[in-house]
Amino acid sequence: MTAKSVGNAANNTASGTPDGTVEYAAPALTLGDKLSRAVDHFRNEWQLYVMLAPAVIWCIVFLYKPMYGLQIAFKDYSIFRGVAASPWIGLEHFETLFGNDQFIRAVFNTIKISALNLLFGFPAPIILALMFNEVLHAGYKRFAQTIVYLPHFISTVIIAGIVITAFSPTAGIVNTILGWFGADSIYFLTKPEWFRPIFVGTGIWQEAGFGSIVFLAAIAGVNPSLYESAVVDGASRWQMMWKITIPSILPTIIIMLIIRIGNIMEVSFELIILLYQPATYSTADVVNTFVYRQGLQSGQYDMAAAAGLFNAAVAFVLVVAANSLSRRYSRTSLW
Amino acid sequence: MAMTMNLYSRGDKIFAIATSVLIGMFTAATLYPFIYITAVSFSSGFAASAGKVILTPIDATLAAYKHVLTDPKFWVSYRNTFIYTVGGTLMSLAFIIPGAYALSRPQLYGRRFWNLFIAFTMWFNAGLIPFFLNMRDLGLLDSYFGIMIGFAVNAFNLILLRNFFEAIPSSFQEAARMDGANDFQVLWKVYVPLAKPAIATITLFCIVSRWNGFFWAMVLLQSEEKIPLQVYLRHTIANLSDDQEFTATLLNQPYSVETVTAAIIVCAIIPVLIVYPFIQKYFEKGILLGGVKE
Amino acid sequence: MTGVRLEGIVKAYGRIQVVHGIDLNVEEKEFVVLVGPSGCGKSTTLRMIAGLEEITDGTLHIHERLCNRVAPKDRDVAMVFQNYALYPHLNVADNIAFGLRIRKTPKAEIAKSVSDVAEILGLTEYLDRRPADLSGGQRQRVAMGRAIVRHPKVFLFDEPLSNLDAKLRTQMRAEIKRLHKRLDVTSVYVTHDQVEAMTLADRIVVMNKGIIEQIGTPMDLFMNPANTFVASFIGSPPMNQMPATITRSPDGYRALIDQVSVPLHNSLSVSEGQDVIVGIRPEHFSLKNDGGLPAIPLSLDLVETLGSEALLHATVDNQSVIVKTDTNGDISQLSNVDTVYVPPEKVKIFDAGTGKVIS
Repeated sequence: MTAKSVGNAANNTASGTPDGTVEYAAPALTLGDKLSRAVDHFRNEWQLYVMLAPAVIWCIVFLYKPMYGLQIAFKDYSIFRGVAASPWIGLEHFETLFGNDQFIRAVFNTIKISALNLLFGFPAPIILALMFNEVLHAGYKRFAQTIVYLPHFISTVIIAGIVITAFSPTAGIVNTILGWFGADSIYFLTKPEWFRPIFVGTGIWQEAGFGSIVFLAAIAGVNPSLYESAVVDGASRWQMMWKITIPSILPTIIIMLIIRIGNIMEVSFELIILLYQPATYSTADVVNTFVYRQGLQSGQYDMAAAAGLFNAAVAFVLVVAANSLSRRYSRTSLW
Repeated sequence: MAMTMNLYSRGDKIFAIATSVLIGMFTAATLYPFIYITAVSFSSGFAASAGKVILTPIDATLAAYKHVLTDPKFWVSYRNTFIYTVGGTLMSLAFIIPGAYALSRPQLYGRRFWNLFIAFTMWFNAGLIPFFLNMRDLGLLDSYFGIMIGFAVNAFNLILLRNFFEAIPSSFQEAARMDGANDFQVLWKVYVPLAKPAIATITLFCIVSRWNGFFWAMVLLQSEEKIPLQVYLRHTIANLSDDQEFTATLLNQPYSVETVTAAIIVCAIIPVLIVYPFIQKYFEKGILLGGVKE
Repeated sequence: MTGVRLEGIVKAYGRIQVVHGIDLNVEEKEFVVLVGPSGCGKSTTLRMIAGLEEITDGTLHIHERLCNRVAPKDRDVAMVFQNYALYPHLNVADNIAFGLRIRKTPKAEIAKSVSDVAEILGLTEYLDRRPADLSGGQRQRVAMGRAIVRHPKVFLFDEPLSNLDAKLRTQMRAEIKRLHKRLDVTSVYVTHDQVEAMTLADRIVVMNKGIIEQIGTPMDLFMNPANTFVASFIGSPPMNQMPATITRSPDGYRALIDQVSVPLHNSLSVSEGQDVIVGIRPEHFSLKNDGGLPAIPLSLDLVETLGSEALLHATVDNQSVIVKTDTNGDISQLSNVDTVYVPPEKVKIFDAGTGKVIS
């Protein structure tokens, strides 16, 4: 047995600080030391880098390289010269865009449709979750949830197909019902004033159920003893919903609201492409559908890229602002 | 909440019943379009065109299905969707699983940077045009491979899985390392089995998004023999009413534009309905795993 | 040959140093327990031996081989984790065999080793079960089986019993002790529970704030704590500690607490007027005056009866003191206690400034 080593206190590489923690004075590493540590690290951990490489390379090739290609927004792009060789023209495309009524209209349509989505689409899943929470029969609740989550998994094309069929002027169920009340048949999808209600309504039909999952989870996280003590105090279910459930899930509601505001430029343009037609452009055309028509259908790549860049830049600022707001409010952020 | 009805006051009972009824109405409203479309698809063209179908098929017939199922293009697109879904999902997993594992390991040099590098793609993307031009420059237009590889990595799914890996106690990795396992073995023999629920979730998200994917398939694919079901569906719906030849034949046919559209919709929904019960088990948890991080 | 030798081991995370240069020799086949409060650096030290943490400074030898930069798998050590880290998707047999499979051991040999280990640990009938279907004690055994099966040179235990309830912990403690006797392998065991340390260890290493306070056999630490920290950490209830001043009387030095003075053993090297801390273990008091022991008057607050023993909570000159005494089945007289006696050689004196023992 070796001799007792008693109280071998901090050796000379350590120095005490006032609060009792000991700061490590790292010996100055030479380049050789650092190199040998790095070599050691890669010898032991090279597999991690092999695993990471495919995802990183993919991101570079498919997401970061297009960011480099974004420079065509400032260029007179020609397919034959390519991205790099096309001549710079400064902000000409942006000037053209801001003088273009269609583009200005698309920007405002984007904001208007998003605002409507927020106004009607945002409360819907919260109300649904609160109602689910009051349903007592577990089997019934389960069944109803199974049904209302389903539309989220249905493709946009099918949703559009259903909308087109249901709102058709002669064959559609909507006009059939209107007919019962003696109203004239309306060709809804050609009427600009009907486009936004149909679009927002479809969105609620498709996403309200699925969106309620987040709020149901928040409700499930509420401490049950809060309800038990409220029962003992004689509160009604209605009072408990207002005094316990809603205040408890308020942080979740605020975070989701902030996220929604951050995504205001992201209108599901795929559905718009499938539902709109020239007659409804005045209310339906958003920035991304504008980009699609100008770029992919008419081949004005450079100007369309400029419009897309405008959209992406605004969206990026909104997302970052929303996230920092969320972080400040709740210490929870998206990343 | 484990509270039974008999503990409820009169007012509470009325409230509970009222919410159940409202939920029932919303559920019915969700379900109705599917019932309506199914009813149309089995109705005669005349009844459908006249707007007579409400809930059940009128003059029930399989004519619309016969028309759809005898179209070889329908089957080609169905096969293509299958290829894109299986191939694309496998490709996604091959990129995402190892990447998520590497990003979850504290030993990784520059871990913060790499995480930011991936996450940045969620907040900023170059947009439709540069992505399209890039795909064209890479020679991936009108190509099966292009559709599969072009959408292989989804930052949201990758971060979701990374979060799950990070939540696994590090002693599992340490125990395996001490037993002599290298990182590939740790991932394959320990982490993948432990992360089964999360991997199932992202697999199902991939499958659904592949199955439903339409916009880029429409933009990137030109050859009819390569298009997936969703694009075929879109073409058919868009063309049916404009197609003079088709409209002309309708007079003598038991089907109409509406019934054929409805029949295609039903055929495209059925696979989703088949996998849906399996998905449901996972997505409620899966959606909560991802994104929001303390 | 030493089993594990640490020399000047330092661990720092960035500029925050948590282990401040530790020297420790673990002899071959010895069972050494690292004990200390949470955050004392004991687990970090163990993880440095395992190779799970990089060593910032100093050297580590395992069986005389320099291991600072050797990968964990090549150190020939096995570790039992606090949460066991059993693979939930594998049954008991596959969990035990995991390490051997990774090392491409021949199948027949694996089967033999697994059944041997299962035999030793009494797991033979559970080999087909998944960890989820096992009790806490069985899981603990599987975790040990996974370590044993590889026949490592050193076993490392990281608080392996802390997830078990009190009864099972006592039982598994004895089992670990028995296993060590049978296998005779160098073991380093980390715990925050001094009872575990006392019962298991050949030698205990008491750590605090990243340094070693004392190394010694369990009885050595109990009887001769090197400082007030060890005195209060080892033993339950801990040693009573009371500030006092040294006075001189005709029959030798005394420690004056306030008004009460305690006579000291005359071999102590103290000087008059010195500020000290008097340390007396609760079990070293006696209620009867056997052979002219010095008396200490106290006022009793509370009697806690534990069965065969009782704890008297009292004050001596406004200092709280705990006295532990045998009840012999009768506690009727305990509430009348107003004086206790203590033999001078059982009184420990520590320097009030440094906390180090004065001998």
